[in-house]
Amino acid sequence: MIYVYIVLGLIVGISLGSISPLEIPPVYAKYTSVALLAALDSVFGGTRAALERVFDLSIFLTGFFSNSLLAALLVFLGNIVGIDLYYVALISFGLRLFQNTAAIRRLLLSRRTK
Amino acid sequence: MKQGRWAIAAVSMVLGIMLVTQYRMTQTITENNVHLQRAGDLALQLNAAQKERDELRAQLEKIKKGTTDDVNSDYSVLKQRAGLTTVSGTGVVVTINDSKVPVKDNENPNLYLIHDEDILRIVNELRAGGAEAIAINDQRLIGVSEVRCAGPTIMVNGKVFAPPFVIKAIGDPKTLSAALTMRGGIVDTLKYWGIELKIQKENQVVVPAFNGTFREEHLTAVKEGATT
Repeated sequence: MIYVYIVLGLIVGISLGSISPLEIPPVYAKYTSVALLAALDSVFGGTRAALERVFDLSIFLTGFFSNSLLAALLVFLGNIVGIDLYYVALISFGLRLFQNTAAIRRLLLSRRTK
Repeated sequence: MKQGRWAIAAVSMVLGIMLVTQYRMTQTITENNVHLQRAGDLALQLNAAQKERDELRAQLEKIKKGTTDDVNSDYSVLKQRAGLTTVSGTGVVVTINDSKVPVKDNENPNLYLIHDEDILRIVNELRAGGAEAIAINDQRLIGVSEVRCAGPTIMVNGKVFAPPFVIKAIGDPKTLSAALTMRGGIVDTLKYWGIELKIQKENQVVVPAFNGTFREEHLTAVKEGATT
């Protein structure tokens, strides 16, 4: 019943974000989008791990925050030295995202057939 | 495992906050982009308008051509433009005569005479001033007219003339006389040598038709649109 928690968390987070006056200047759009993608990837990765019964809380938590921060930081560094790491991050996280979702789908299907 | 679930819920919450913030920021960016898009739209509209204008201009040209397609009117217009008809209108009459100032010793008497160059300069100024028809001593100036020194006389359209010269020009009298009498212009120069020059603005100047012959020994017509 891990999905309940995910959905619950998402709802609370979205409502919180809607209420709070938190605004990020558009200059940082690249960083936040990469961070968001990393976070999404972590959540899907965590879900997959939970389904595979190899979920580790510390790995999940550190992965979530460090991936987000690291992605933003790498893009920032790339901006400084003139390398568009933004797209690299997009592609790698995007790929992982799809791999994770595919794995989740397969796991769910195999569980049902069991 | 229970712990993990709550952790996942917390993480999902953070994710939700991030999502909303990102969404809001994207909205702001789109709004800001509206201004840029507006400029782009205007540029596109300008381009389209210019294209339309060019097309309309071409159409107008086509229609104009169509109305003068009438051979007779075409012919008379061309004849008038070629200087083959007598024309009249407002203009100026310029009368020039040699200087009456006695020539001093050791001075070139040529300086006190009218030369073909002086006439040419006057004609040039008149044309620059918008003259529509010019005649020198009733010799109409057309595309092939020459103004040439012929001893003490001047040859125009193959005919030889001695001073005084009468140059008639049709155009705006004010502009034409202003073109001649501008400071440092041709009149100033000629007056310096005492050459007699009189400019009369007239309401009715008659410029006769070109009555010489055309020689067409060397030219042949090239089809329109063909390149050399």
